[in-house]
Amino acid sequence: MKEFAVRNLRLCTKDCLCLYVCPVGATDTENSIIDVEKCTGCGVCARACPSGAITMMPVELPPQQKKDDAVVRLAETLLRGKVRQEKAALQIMEETGDDGLYRLCKALARSSRLVAEDISREAGYMLPQSGNTHRKLEKWRQDPPGDGFPAEAVERLLEMIPYPY
Amino acid sequence: MKYVCSVCGYVYDEEKENKLFSDLPDTWACPWCKAPKALFGPKEDGPGEAVAVERPEAVQSGSGEEDALGTGAAGDRMASAGELSVMCSNLARGCEKQYRPEEEALFRQLAEYFAARIPDEEDAGMEQLASMTAQDLAEGYPALSAEASAKADRGTLRICTWGEKVTRIQDVLINRYIKEGSAFLKDTDVWVCSVCGFIYTGDTPPELCPVCKVPDWKFEKMEGRVSG
Repeated sequence: MKEFAVRNLRLCTKDCLCLYVCPVGATDTENSIIDVEKCTGCGVCARACPSGAITMMPVELPPQQKKDDAVVRLAETLLRGKVRQEKAALQIMEETGDDGLYRLCKALARSSRLVAEDISREAGYMLPQSGNTHRKLEKWRQDPPGDGFPAEAVERLLEMIPYPY
Repeated sequence: MKYVCSVCGYVYDEEKENKLFSDLPDTWACPWCKAPKALFGPKEDGPGEAVAVERPEAVQSGSGEEDALGTGAAGDRMASAGELSVMCSNLARGCEKQYRPEEEALFRQLAEYFAARIPDEEDAGMEQLASMTAQDLAEGYPALSAEASAKADRGTLRICTWGEKVTRIQDVLINRYIKEGSAFLKDTDVWVCSVCGFIYTGDTPPELCPVCKVPDWKFEKMEGRVSG
């Protein structure tokens, strides 16, 4: 299985052993993110790292778990409510002159978005590489959902995200 | 007798505290997550911590393959602008975690396109928010949780456990604002856990998120409006 190395910047203690052992110089970057284009997936850096800050990720990810239709429907109902709560909180934020209420509604909007994203993930859209995502992007390419839709973004995503199935 | 916080699992032990739970004032709040006294319930003795979800039978239906063509479960229904915005911002996060900054930016662009098309709420206000969180707690989460249990879907049970707790703390804060106004927020900061959405009010965020247990640096401080 082809892999590539990923560094967790929170764990990296800059011992720099990865620089010594990488045969292609993929770990030596100015932003500390391992260069995926160069990385050959040999795994030497991950084994040499004293902090366990480097892990190996497979290039091709397995298919998502299949979701039961009844579960997805109930999840979507909940999700629609969370989106409305986010919207309402944003509207209150815009209108209020009260700093406390402003910050509270900012928190409520952020919190509702995060909860909604979690639901969306479990409702079938966990991975950018998944079949669901791929089919959605394909659909938007063929039939843009409205005026001013950034079709070139969809085009580029379909080019960049591998879909092997 | 012991009482457990339904949001974060903190246990109040009457014996250790040398004070009856019922003798605590109504203004008493959970020392870990600040949930009010009313969100505590008696702790039933049993193995492990009190988790609200029952353990489902480990039966997975079907092959488990989502990507086989023709499943059609999620992709086909008409989704609202809000749902699509959330789907795209979530996929942007997925790209971020995989160190794919260009794809992340593209999904963000799509998320913003859809976000700008979410219709305004007609009665946007704290009372309306309170009725929506109450409905999620009374109907939305119990229904999803039951279905996920029946279908042995652990992933969905997990988002029910987190989401319900987060919604409960949202509900508490909204109702507190309705009752008291914003005085309780005057000299304190508001923090949001960037992983599960838990909201904490206080000077510094908790060491571990009471809901999803990530460390404090995962909390984001909600800044006030920039003047000028």
